[in-house]
Amino acid sequence: MTDTLSLIASFASSALRQAAPLSLAGLGVAYAEKAGILNIGEEGIMLGGAFAGFITAYFTGSLALGILGGAAGGIVISMIHAFLSIKAKANQTISGLALNFFTLGLTSFLFLLAFGQGSSLPSIANLKPVAIPILSSIPFIGEVLFRQNVLVYVLYIAIAAFSVFFYRTEWGISLTAVGENPQAADSAGINVYRTRYLACLVNGIFGGLGGCFITLGQLGYFQEDIVSGKGYIALVAVILGRHNPILIFLSAAMIGLAESLQFSMQAMGVQLPSQAFSMLPYVVAVIVLLFSIGRSTTPAAVGIPYERDKR
Amino acid sequence: MKRILAVLSVFVLSLSILAAGGSGEAAKDDPIDSMALILSGPANDQGWNAVAVAGLEATAEQFGLETTIMENVSIADSEAAYRQLAAEGYDIVIGHGYQYGEPAAAVSHEFPSKYFLATESDSYSDNAASYVMACEQGAYIMGILCAGMSESGTIGVIGGFEQPSIIKEVEAFKLAAATVNPDINVMSIYINSFTDTNLGYEAAMTMINHGADVIYQVANQAGNGAIIACSEKGVYCCGNSYDQNSIAPDYVLSSTIYNMDQVMKTAVSSILDGTFTGGVYNLGMDKGVVEIAPYHSLDSVIPADLKDLVSETVEAITSGELQVPVIAEASK
Repeated sequence: MTDTLSLIASFASSALRQAAPLSLAGLGVAYAEKAGILNIGEEGIMLGGAFAGFITAYFTGSLALGILGGAAGGIVISMIHAFLSIKAKANQTISGLALNFFTLGLTSFLFLLAFGQGSSLPSIANLKPVAIPILSSIPFIGEVLFRQNVLVYVLYIAIAAFSVFFYRTEWGISLTAVGENPQAADSAGINVYRTRYLACLVNGIFGGLGGCFITLGQLGYFQEDIVSGKGYIALVAVILGRHNPILIFLSAAMIGLAESLQFSMQAMGVQLPSQAFSMLPYVVAVIVLLFSIGRSTTPAAVGIPYERDKR
Repeated sequence: MKRILAVLSVFVLSLSILAAGGSGEAAKDDPIDSMALILSGPANDQGWNAVAVAGLEATAEQFGLETTIMENVSIADSEAAYRQLAAEGYDIVIGHGYQYGEPAAAVSHEFPSKYFLATESDSYSDNAASYVMACEQGAYIMGILCAGMSESGTIGVIGGFEQPSIIKEVEAFKLAAATVNPDINVMSIYINSFTDTNLGYEAAMTMINHGADVIYQVANQAGNGAIIACSEKGVYCCGNSYDQNSIAPDYVLSSTIYNMDQVMKTAVSSILDGTFTGGVYNLGMDKGVVEIAPYHSLDSVIPADLKDLVSETVEAITSGELQVPVIAEASK
């Protein structure tokens, strides 16, 4: 019995590990979209964070600095998007896609510059799980939720903070106003541009943290395209979670759960082609999307550049 | 003026491509002096592709060839990649991976004076050949080593894509493990990626949680994640493509090594001395193409009789006394 329980617990922590980078990035995306900034470039932001986090930790030997570096890396990429979509009023879908390719090339190039080509893998010790006193001794729940690395705790705090911020503060209301009707927000005295720049900053920080969760929290090394599509999955989690911090986390957890489930089923030798297993997380996402048809929560002004003198 | 120049240069370029395509027999007299390599991922993946790049460099040095590398070529772009490199004048174009065999044979008819090679594949024509590395021989040894080192009686093997070049390793691994311990439970997971290291990590974690205590990976770059998971959980593992001991010196028992330079040198020397014919060539331990990495600091951990069994099996395979079967169909 205890065996089954510990198996389920390890299964759940695997799901949480996979959900954490998606949720961190997802929170940032939700913030940006609430302000009316569409960011297809989340993949690039995460990759920037993953790279900057690793390279900082590698050369300073400090994981704390690595995390800060990761956030900074995310900010740099995100602010390029901010400039293009707010100041230059560019098409945000194109700008985001361009950023993804740009970051993929840039990080690969810089990585090559820093370490050269070879068959040795430059690596660092990754973040170790920290058990929270008292809470971690709760059976099952403690083992799953409170024996994780520090970035997971950052995630918990961020979910709580965003939930309060979005729905219970005046700032949160202003943010929503800027995303829904920037003209009205502007007449009410809210600085639309500043709000949107700030949103991109927040998106950069959390996207960067999501990226360095992969390099610092899990693998301890960097390789080309290490994020491999998680930025896009984070966008899916935001839509599934309808821009609500808690629901975003639950959506990401569900995607992570589907992934762990497919590995467990393969390991136990369930008779199915492996390709069918790999589809599972996406099948789950599509099914949930089907159920949420007609209940779009995307802010009205997402992706539309704000021009003050236009009606 | 600038525009006229641009139009002119495009015209000249397309002419030269046409000329390269249609030169046929006349070009046969040209010396073979250049070689291009097509890769499925980045050149610095510290694995499958890095091994090929090292092989290319060694080959180029020995035969004095000019080289180029094309990275991240997807299956959809592979024909175009062969065509482009041949049109640019490279005499030998080699694709590193099973998926490049068909395109090599398909494009070979358009450039009869060039040579199109692919590794791990099964397609060929008059001027196209596939060089299959007997990876299953390495996997067989890893199966013996992993099964011999297991205390729990459960081991695991992680595959990249469920495709023939990977399946043959996974199946040979299972086969060998059963010869050491008939009751052994070998778990296998195909993660359907060669690049997503996170999937490799989680697949290994899942196996460890299900009781596996030694794990082998056949998943290129993604497999490095599996090694990280093993070192985190204090579980032994075996590497692939090159000596991966440096990733986790306390946990990587040994690795299957592919000496791509031997493969390329074999191919290039046959082209240079005129003995090249299209076909599928199997190169294994007897040719020095497949090897086993040393145990490094873990030498003392492995029981002496297991080490003897491993070296006896390596000898038997090298001498041809033991034939490791190539299984193309995945079992569960």
